[in-house]
Amino acid sequence: MEGRPLDDLALVERARNGDVNAYEALVQQYQQLAYRVAYQVTGDAADAEDAAQEAFVNAYYALGRFRPGAPFKPWLCRIVANEARNRRMAAHRRTALAERAHWAQASGEAAPSPEAAAEADAFRATLVDTMGRLRDEDRLILSYRLFFDFSEADMAEALKVPKGTVKSRLSRALTRLRAALPADFQLSSEGSVDG
Amino acid sequence: MAESRRFTDVELERALRELGPRYPYPPTPNLAVAVRGRIVAQPAAPVRRLALWRDPMRLALAAAVVLVLLGAAALINPTTRDAIAHFFHVRGVIVSRVSPLPSLSPATPLNLGRRTTMADAQSRVSFTIAVPADLGAPDAVYVDSGVPGGVVALAYAPRPGIPLVKQTGLGLLITEFRGDLLPGFLTKEVGPSTTIQETSVNGDPGWWVAGEPHTVFVKVSSTDYQVQLRMAANTLIWEHGGVTYRIESGLSRADAFRIAAGLP
Repeated sequence: MEGRPLDDLALVERARNGDVNAYEALVQQYQQLAYRVAYQVTGDAADAEDAAQEAFVNAYYALGRFRPGAPFKPWLCRIVANEARNRRMAAHRRTALAERAHWAQASGEAAPSPEAAAEADAFRATLVDTMGRLRDEDRLILSYRLFFDFSEADMAEALKVPKGTVKSRLSRALTRLRAALPADFQLSSEGSVDG
Repeated sequence: MAESRRFTDVELERALRELGPRYPYPPTPNLAVAVRGRIVAQPAAPVRRLALWRDPMRLALAAAVVLVLLGAAALINPTTRDAIAHFFHVRGVIVSRVSPLPSLSPATPLNLGRRTTMADAQSRVSFTIAVPADLGAPDAVYVDSGVPGGVVALAYAPRPGIPLVKQTGLGLLITEFRGDLLPGFLTKEVGPSTTIQETSVNGDPGWWVAGEPHTVFVKVSSTDYQVQLRMAANTLIWEHGGVTYRIESGLSRADAFRIAAGLP
């Protein structure tokens, strides 16, 4: 699998045999991805941390059922997403939207001019907010493909859907995102966020 | 200048790809430390607890499994019957030979009870918890107060001189319980490649079980039934003053005895 470190398989195999150090190396390698996948589902920092941690622990004890030679990343992400769904609650959802807005504001990067920065921030904030309103399935498939650069095979494994349906699901998610964007939402003339 | 229009898929994908690295995630917490802590020092996470007392069929099945295993051991080797009786000497522990040994995953979770502080554990057991002077304070303390007298487990992470034991994910595990109150609390089954040596630990009778990993099976109390079957590493077991001590590690006999010398 492209992008997967060559020693993934070796680490998984060692972890399957009870080598905790090998598993810790896998956790370090994938903790950012796992946390971000969980955050995409929960929208809440504490829930995402709990879900990702629980997923790593559960995945360790499920290694006996892991198919030898299979890619670890999408298998882990499926466990993470399931854990995150289990933790998400309606009450947190409202907090989540507010939190996304907070982090959107906090993470604005320096731009060439105040006007350009404001425009880019507003653009990103609108995209983030609209993403947050999508269904989990849509947000996950868009994240896997466009944020985390998963291959189609990895997306299929992570979402537990047939490989042949990934493209159409991605297209439908994009369509729903587009429909959910505000009517006056604009791309710049170059079609770029920073244009 | 911006123009107002709907986007194509390609444009929207490009916008999202550019958003990806700037997406407003909170900082990623250090999960590796927490996960390792739970696996190494709290290996009981997905505990397999069977509520047997609520299900007569499962209870009967579990009892049948025990009888079959013990019965098979007695039938396979004419001397085994004597051996089973012989091995009752350390109260709270039964050691028997079984061939073949059940095949188990090395990652089978432990069942150590609830993680707590040393002070809390001490308040919940009916004996004085002993900590070996050589090792100092354990990395984690667990207590199970659901059995008569309580059970304490002291977990030590691997460190120089104390290698990782893959059966437990720990370096060393010490279990202490009232063997006089819990006959048959631990049933250990050993295969042909495991040695069992009668020994004396600090002047008390004990056993050194070493070589190939063996199984630890069935924990029973008057109020609860928990079936746990897992592979165990080299173990030194002895009893002193009604309390049974068990050290499980990858250490040699001499090193295990050195640690035991710091206990009663």
